[in-house]
Amino acid sequence: MTRGDGRAAFWFLLPYLTLFAVFLVGPLAYGFWISLHDWHVLGKEVPFVGFDNYAAALGDDLFHIALARTAYFVLLTVPAGNALSLLVAVGLNQRYRATTLFKVCFYVPVVLSIAVTAILWRWLLSSESGLINHYLGTRVQWLGSPTWAMPSLALMTLWWGLGGNMLVYLAALRNVPKEQLEAASLDGASPWRRFWAVTWPSIGPATLFCLIMSVIASSQVFGQTFILTNGGPADSTLTVVLYMYRQGFGMYQLGYASAVAYLLFFLVLALSAVQIRLMARTLKNR
Amino acid sequence: MSVRWFLATVLGLAAVVAGQGCRHGAPPDEGVVVVDFWNGFSGPDGAQMEKIVRRFNQEHEGRIRVNMQIIPWGTFYDKVTLGLAFGGAPEVFVIHVNRFPEYAHHGVLGNLDDLAKQGGLDGEDFVEAAWEAAHWEGTLRALPLDCHPLGLYYNLDLFEKAGIARPPQTYDEFMDAARKLTRDNDGDGRPEQWGFAFTWLHSNSLCFLNQFGTGLLDESLKSSGLDTPEATAAMERMLDIVRAGVAPPPEGQDAWLGFQTGKVAMALEGVYMMTSLVEQKGLRFAAAPVPQFGPRKAVWAGTHLLAMPEGLDQSRRHAAWTFMTYLSENSLGWAEGGQVPVRKSVLNSPGFQRLEVQAQFAKQLDHVVYEPRSIYSNLIATFGDSAFEAILNGIQPTEQALETAARRTDNRLRKR
Repeated sequence: MTRGDGRAAFWFLLPYLTLFAVFLVGPLAYGFWISLHDWHVLGKEVPFVGFDNYAAALGDDLFHIALARTAYFVLLTVPAGNALSLLVAVGLNQRYRATTLFKVCFYVPVVLSIAVTAILWRWLLSSESGLINHYLGTRVQWLGSPTWAMPSLALMTLWWGLGGNMLVYLAALRNVPKEQLEAASLDGASPWRRFWAVTWPSIGPATLFCLIMSVIASSQVFGQTFILTNGGPADSTLTVVLYMYRQGFGMYQLGYASAVAYLLFFLVLALSAVQIRLMARTLKNR
Repeated sequence: MSVRWFLATVLGLAAVVAGQGCRHGAPPDEGVVVVDFWNGFSGPDGAQMEKIVRRFNQEHEGRIRVNMQIIPWGTFYDKVTLGLAFGGAPEVFVIHVNRFPEYAHHGVLGNLDDLAKQGGLDGEDFVEAAWEAAHWEGTLRALPLDCHPLGLYYNLDLFEKAGIARPPQTYDEFMDAARKLTRDNDGDGRPEQWGFAFTWLHSNSLCFLNQFGTGLLDESLKSSGLDTPEATAAMERMLDIVRAGVAPPPEGQDAWLGFQTGKVAMALEGVYMMTSLVEQKGLRFAAAPVPQFGPRKAVWAGTHLLAMPEGLDQSRRHAAWTFMTYLSENSLGWAEGGQVPVRKSVLNSPGFQRLEVQAQFAKQLDHVVYEPRSIYSNLIATFGDSAFEAILNGIQPTEQALETAARRTDNRLRKR
């Protein structure tokens, strides 16, 4: 690369780098700075408190509850969501008529905002007049009981997010080597065996990508619980981001809320690292 | 190109972007002071307020022009707070009495003492609790616009059918009425008509707590009022109503809809809910003071306060004050939309006495109880709400849930 190339590259990168610096790096660093202070939006002074906010959050039983509820939500949504997306993708990867129509149908919810989705599902889940209770012939308080509230939010999220991962899996399925699949079927391998021996290993990277992205997305769950249950009943759907929101926008304690945000950030980062490690090892061992 | 050059360019652009949108607005017409007025009245109350503002603008043409902006309560405080912190706050804004301490504590509300003195306002004409609530550390920081206590709404048709002549006033009368009003017509053990239902657990529970002599905080405001025998007794009394089978367990029930559609005969709600009943076809309802469930008379209430930011220039400050006092003096129009005024002159006027429902709510003005005057009340309320939900839904034993809420509250209060 000549020197002139570097200069041209700089100018091409500049718009992106500017936005990156102004809207991402800057706020990230500023957020960390805020988290080290007792920072009320209206405070005339913002005393430096070091890592006190972090310690306070880690010592708060409500934060522990929020962590546990969030973990529960991740467990409910990530494995089931990815399995479903993959299943639908495999189904749609066949040569049927109207597969495009089905693809669009499965993808449409992804386009909806969480507010629209939540309001839609509020009607479905309503205990008195909801379609779900109507068809099941039950009177379950889907959103009103601490047992069912979180699974209900998870179910809604599965419906909402199915299409996104489905697209990734579809793209990955396209790249499964055809000759290997053909060779396998010539050898008399059942479809089941073909899937596990040929398809599954070759979509490994896509699976890893989907898993990591859904763990990140599910760890940050907010809209569902904010709109439908507001953390209730009795804190059964209190998630980490809702906890942070209450501190940041209910109390305007920006220092404390930023500390919670950073704790969540480090947690998700660690989770992603573990996932990458584990998956890399399995992929290499094949 | 050097790294320094690169950084300078990036930072320069950043500064340009960040510098945008700090101050805005064109100069108003010569001599007219523009007063921005923010509130969250996004329901029928907003239309009522708009009428009053329009009249004000007509009467003050050429001098003051009020621009009202309605921001739904959900995001209202975020906008106001950011405006107060970084500029752009309106000249007049509404603030609920339970959020007042937070803002007053941070010194962002203008001191109104001199304006009140000049205008001859000394609190004589105001309901005492509301006037006191607008003060912080001895100075007037807001002007109370109204008071909205809970009251007992009851369905007249269902009362007549059950042969009940007047609304209950005591716990025993209440239970007696509720039993008569609960109907299980098909005998499946699940009533089609409930005598009573808890609608908003927050206000309903606080009202019971107040009647038993406690609340979210104790009188010192330094520790929780929930780990007390009074709090346990209050919550147990609420549970008794559910256990007696005259009210549904509150989980997930759209209880207010139940009252609107005649499936629930009585409910405790704020005066501001009145308009949603007036609009309901086929519903004949009336209101009465909250029955006495506990040993003392008390009723949960809120109040809308009018405030201005600290540091307005003299002309805007006076214009804002003129508008605030106008709203206060003309609060009869405001009351029509489902509020109780706090000016004694308005309360005693024949115009107000003609408003049957509001006049019933107003009977309770001498024993209204606001939420604790704590800068943490907005957060502490969420601790209480979780406990109330857990108790009334039978998720946790009463004392255990109350102790958890009390511990969280005390932790928060002790932090500083």
